[in-house]
Amino acid sequence: MHGCHWPATCARRADVPTLQAHGIEAGLPVGFEGRIFKRVGTGLEEPFAVAHFATFALPDTVGDFGGGAVNLMGPDDIFAALFEYGPDSIGTKLFARRGMPRELATTNFQPYVLRRGLVGQSGTQWFFTEAGRPFTLYVVLGSHARRASLVPRVNTLLSGLTVLPAVAPAPLGAPWN
Amino acid sequence: MVALVVVLTVVVLLLGVLVAGLLRSHADILKALHDLGVGVGEPLGEEDNGRSHDHGSASDRQVPVPFTMGPALPPERDSVSAPTIAGVTPDGDALAVAPAASGGLTLLAFLSTGCSSCAGFWESFRDQRALGLPSAARLVVVTKGPDREIPGEVAALASPDLAVVMSSDAWTDYEVPGSPFFVLVDGTSGRRIGEGVANHFRQVAELVRRAEVDATSFDLGVRAGRDVGLDGPARESANDRELRDAGILPGDPSLYPTSLDDLYGPPDARMPLARHVRKAG
Repeated sequence: MHGCHWPATCARRADVPTLQAHGIEAGLPVGFEGRIFKRVGTGLEEPFAVAHFATFALPDTVGDFGGGAVNLMGPDDIFAALFEYGPDSIGTKLFARRGMPRELATTNFQPYVLRRGLVGQSGTQWFFTEAGRPFTLYVVLGSHARRASLVPRVNTLLSGLTVLPAVAPAPLGAPWN
Repeated sequence: MVALVVVLTVVVLLLGVLVAGLLRSHADILKALHDLGVGVGEPLGEEDNGRSHDHGSASDRQVPVPFTMGPALPPERDSVSAPTIAGVTPDGDALAVAPAASGGLTLLAFLSTGCSSCAGFWESFRDQRALGLPSAARLVVVTKGPDREIPGEVAALASPDLAVVMSSDAWTDYEVPGSPFFVLVDGTSGRRIGEGVANHFRQVAELVRRAEVDATSFDLGVRAGRDVGLDGPARESANDRELRDAGILPGDPSLYPTSLDDLYGPPDARMPLARHVRKAG
């Protein structure tokens, strides 16, 4: 029988690999890779969180919406991006939906909903606000014809995603004043 | 004669004291082993767990400690499985790599910042194109987590384009004996197909190249990918440049249409092609 002989290690180990960074937490289903990051800001641009999930090897450099990755997809692959917008988007019509969609249907995926149209693929995109943070969710299926088997895997991924409330930046200046 | 008897008596007494001390020490060792659950001749069964021993204050501290050679693998894993590696990057981002599902070859390099023999590998990885790895194989460096390594030191050694995961759990999952250590995973079969230590990366690259040849021979090759021209962040930067050259800057009203009229103009002014397509469709 296998036991948990190193309690400190076992206490931290979850049943599924878990990623957490920049206020996004993801329990990854079997076969998924993931990356949660912020790009380096340029000029006055303020970067926000981006999360990528894929059933194939994510390249080291991937565009926010899968550029450089979706062309590597096989017919049984999935790519998902969770992209955060700035707080000025909160309250706008585009982000009126409350909460991330957790149960997508096969009818939500269309071949023309692709940021980059590649033959055979299909996608879906949703804008929403969760935990006071505006996001878009963009999912690509490697094969529209196989959406019946791929969409349940997407829903398993979505059920493991958690968006935490944004942390207010620490105030500048001496706190004792 | 009397002096000789006295001397012999003293020697016998001293030897008696010495033997008694050795027996006492031996008894203490046996008692300690018994408390650890590896006592000789009296295995510690389940019924022993609640049995009280008269060890004085030591009985309050006795805790059954399993006698193992190292961390045991979870029951669903074995010595060739390749579980997902989840951790953080030196920059504080989160990263998970699933070599068993990648479809191609993944070379995991378990390195430390402190080991002198790792320094050469960190240096070699600064120019990945010169490594001699097959183009379809990806390289992932795995260090121990932030609880054992300082992210800043890892970041100082790693080049920006090198995939680095900091995860102490991965070292346990892959049974890494020490650093440097390399594991080659075939993403098609989802199994480890090679692992070991090397002095120079040339040796590792040669093994990976042979593994790729084997994979190709058995049609286990990796995804070829589609030739889509400019791609990735470069494509998005090009898009931004085109928009900027056209005078469309961040915040431009045209980027935030509120109605179809904003997109296509008033109905009367729309191109007849749209109506034509609608009729045909």
